Amino acid sequence: MLKYLAKRGITYVVMIFLTTSAGYFLAVSSLKPALLEQERIPRPTPEQVANSMRLKGLDPDLSPWERYVDWLTGIITRWDWGRSPNGAYINAEFGDRVWISTRLFLASIILTLVIGVALGVYSAARQYKFQDRVITSYSYLAYIVPAPIAYFLVQLGAININESVGDRIFFVTGISTPGVAPGWPQFADLMAHYVVPTVAITLVGWGAYQIAQRQYLLDNVNADFVRTARAKGLSRNQAIARHALRVSFIPVAQSIAFTIPAIFAGGFFAEKIFAWPGVGSWSIDAISLQDVNAATATLAYGSVIFALGAILADFATTLVDPRVRVQ
Amino acid sequence: MSSETTTGATDPSRSTVERLHVAGLHAPGDAVLSVRDLNVRFNTENGVVHAVRGIDFDLLPGRTLGIVGESGSGKSVTSLAIMGLLAPTAEVTGSVRLKGRELLGLSDKAMCEYRGNELAMVFQDPLSSLTPVFTVGTQIIEALTIHNPTMSKKAKEARAVELLAMVGIPSPKDRLKAFPHEFSGGMRQRVMIAIAIANNPRVLIADEPTTALDVTIQAQVLEVLHTAQEETGAAVVMITHDLGVVAGMADDIMVMYAGKPVETGAVDHIYYNPRMPYTMGLLGAVPRVDVAEKSSLVPIEGMPPNLLQAPTGCSFAPRCPLASDACLDGEPGLEPVDGDGLHRAACIKSGSLGGTVDVHDVFAAPPVPVSRFDAIPRAERATVLQLTDVRKHFPLTRGALIKRRIGTVKAVDGLSFDIREGECFSIVGESGSGKTTTLLEIMEFHPDQDGEVVIGGLSNKQAADAKTKGKMRRELQMVFQDPTGALDPRFTVYEVLAEPLQNAGMDRGAIKKRVMELMKLVGLQPDHVNRFPNQFSGGQRQRIGIARALAVNPKLVVLDEPVSALDVSVQAGVINLLDQLRAELGLSYLLVAHDLSVVRHISNRVAVMYLGKIVEIGAVDRVFDNPRHPYTRALLSAIPVPDPQLEKTRERIILQGDLPSPLQAPKGCNFATRCPVFAALPPAKQEKCLTLEPLLEAAAPSAAVQALEQAPLPAPDQQFACFYPDGEIDEDMLVVHEPADHLTP
Repeated sequence: MLKYLAKRGITYVVMIFLTTSAGYFLAVSSLKPALLEQERIPRPTPEQVANSMRLKGLDPDLSPWERYVDWLTGIITRWDWGRSPNGAYINAEFGDRVWISTRLFLASIILTLVIGVALGVYSAARQYKFQDRVITSYSYLAYIVPAPIAYFLVQLGAININESVGDRIFFVTGISTPGVAPGWPQFADLMAHYVVPTVAITLVGWGAYQIAQRQYLLDNVNADFVRTARAKGLSRNQAIARHALRVSFIPVAQSIAFTIPAIFAGGFFAEKIFAWPGVGSWSIDAISLQDVNAATATLAYGSVIFALGAILADFATTLVDPRVRVQ
Repeated sequence: MSSETTTGATDPSRSTVERLHVAGLHAPGDAVLSVRDLNVRFNTENGVVHAVRGIDFDLLPGRTLGIVGESGSGKSVTSLAIMGLLAPTAEVTGSVRLKGRELLGLSDKAMCEYRGNELAMVFQDPLSSLTPVFTVGTQIIEALTIHNPTMSKKAKEARAVELLAMVGIPSPKDRLKAFPHEFSGGMRQRVMIAIAIANNPRVLIADEPTTALDVTIQAQVLEVLHTAQEETGAAVVMITHDLGVVAGMADDIMVMYAGKPVETGAVDHIYYNPRMPYTMGLLGAVPRVDVAEKSSLVPIEGMPPNLLQAPTGCSFAPRCPLASDACLDGEPGLEPVDGDGLHRAACIKSGSLGGTVDVHDVFAAPPVPVSRFDAIPRAERATVLQLTDVRKHFPLTRGALIKRRIGTVKAVDGLSFDIREGECFSIVGESGSGKTTTLLEIMEFHPDQDGEVVIGGLSNKQAADAKTKGKMRRELQMVFQDPTGALDPRFTVYEVLAEPLQNAGMDRGAIKKRVMELMKLVGLQPDHVNRFPNQFSGGQRQRIGIARALAVNPKLVVLDEPVSALDVSVQAGVINLLDQLRAELGLSYLLVAHDLSVVRHISNRVAVMYLGKIVEIGAVDRVFDNPRHPYTRALLSAIPVPDPQLEKTRERIILQGDLPSPLQAPKGCNFATRCPVFAALPPAKQEKCLTLEPLLEAAAPSAAVQALEQAPLPAPDQQFACFYPDGEIDEDMLVVHEPADHLTP
């Protein structure tokens, strides 16, 4: 198993290197931070711009290949991913933002998984009954409604509650209020900020898991081995819970494994709408700000996360499915 | 058990009807399972399907009831209804009593007490019937835990080992931890039987338990079922479409048609004195592996009725050659024939269908067709296909990045045979013996192949360009196993049949004429050409497949299991058609089949394959009547024959285990690991089998025959590859069932 994982790991490292390099060349040849500098008032001279860029290691006069070599040397020798045109260090900025994204998504993804899988099982056991129809229709609706609209709706709801109560219970944007006394008041403030985005992301997210889990379980409810289990003397529900559920969880476990690393990668819409400056919004901002190093760093991070997800998915499958256990 | 019955009878909570039932007014008191007027209806989009219409039977302890019928006759639904495993939407009425206690109407939870405990079941498909993510040990122990919650963990494990040993799984203790996918199909069916008998059931229902298995494995599993019944004393309900399988096992038979029993009685009555035309047809439709004399099979034309409408007359009347107006007037009930009351048939003419009536006359079976080639000696006929030393080896590798070769799978290993004009040559063997690979190698026709394939004078070695290949395809065509999968569902029959003709460059008018001709040739109505394949029945689809193969007038038709997907009655029609086409058109066939009875019926010559090699080859009557290779002997003895007396008394060679993996194949004779003769040999002689590879050699005519004849006989057409062809069979692998242990009435 370890040998197998090592082999997979090497494949992914090569893949990540290739994507990131290709991404860097694309960014360095299309993103021109010097152009933005020229829109400042008072307008700096081209020499001043070039100079300030050179100081940040973003010399526009060097060829893409030379800049690539510099950039790669920095990463390999000093683990330095370079600087942004505004002078910020990518490494420092990155750490902050990953932490923000993680905080924003962690709770909601766990809730999404638990609620989605539980409702999937519940609705499959009551196929075509009233409860199943309501739950599954909701899931399809959540699928169809664009995430930003759903987020706005939840925000509106929270504002309505605030207004009807006459006090600000929930904050609909931001991470925390500056200057709150530490201890209990700070915790309450954090929670008041945390509830709305968490509820919004969870409400939109569970639909996909519910639909998948329901479908996979229904595929197995009438399987021959469930009939065998019933012939042994298990009731229908016991047979489904002990035999069908485990088998139907195999594909779901795989998709869950892919989700977990995505927590850290964040999501652009949620971060923008709730004003949590995480990795997701950073990656989009980097492009509009002509930030070569930040754009490449988020791309590299995305590839790493994908590779981790794939390896986790392999792990999850071997864990629940004895047929694929490597001897 | 009788005390149980009395307890039930005095139970005041039961209704009067129920108490009468228990008191034996309807059922004999000692019946362990009695079913009365069982009806099952399904609500479907098209209306209510009345799948089972009034089944009655009583099953005595230790007895075996065989339920026989075509697919769709309601056999499986009956068994699931007894077990209470039908979908909740199915409407089940009537009465099912287990030792006097009513089972119908019990909740799922209340049924759980009986299922797996007193009432157990073995299902058809062993590959999908075990949960893939649990070890077999867990699954056997689960069956024990459900009904014996107080049993200790150790005791349960010991019992599981005992059960696995009982069903013949080697080193049962280690195998407890194995997952189902680590077992072969036959082994998994053994595990299923172990689970079913875990709690010593009183009634064991086996629903087509061997249909998905090879004949040799089928023989093993039937043997295990037999042992299981002896060990537990359970009554068995054996559901099958194969009249051979139940002939040796059952005490009583119930023949079902369109959801109703149409004939019931002791096994001997049903087989030797059938009184219902449907039973007679079924028996006549089965080819016999033990009969050399050739007679046409009895096809039952038409299809079973649609059970959406209640039949107004006899449900078999539309297919029955004896049907008269009286048959359409009300559905006949089961009436006793011969007066003893045990043999009953649902036919108003059962009285006139006594022992001497020949089924071939009743069903107007076609005469045996005679080919113009039959009169010409084989040596003088032209060769249509010649294989010389054809090999196909697959490397067996391990490792993902760097592949190591750890062995070779010799799928086909040095095959040579030829087929002459007007001849049917068959290849038989278990799955994995290389039959299909042989066909694929012939169809491949590539100069890089190992060995030479000559089709109608064209060799794969000389020129295998597109033109030669096209020419070759006009000499040789193929008919596939699954008629549904082999026809494009979006092509009309006309398009299916026209395609090869267009390929051959025929003009439109000629194609149209030829398509109509082909439809008539295979017995389909020419005006059905614009229909799609799904509008035809399975047998008709296979006829379309045959017509497509014949479109370009080939000399040789390759038939890959052409009838294995069809019901017996339909199968008979297709076999008759193939026989007739061979005679009329002077075709040659290369047939691959696992059903040796079909092979015996239709072929002239046969080759027995084992692990990629031919172990015996020759004229079909020589090989089947006087098999020399131990494997051929085992294969032939494994085939159940639809003749109860013969089945109960004959010797059977039960091969141990499955086909060995190619890595374990011995240096010498491939078959040594399973050979019943090898096992009985002294070690000195065994050495020869293990080190030297036996080659095919001609069988000499036996001395007794030689002495009778004046002139020395020419060598018979039979070759085999074995050093000790007449060796003693190891006693452990030989099974004879004493007729005395059966309670034949």
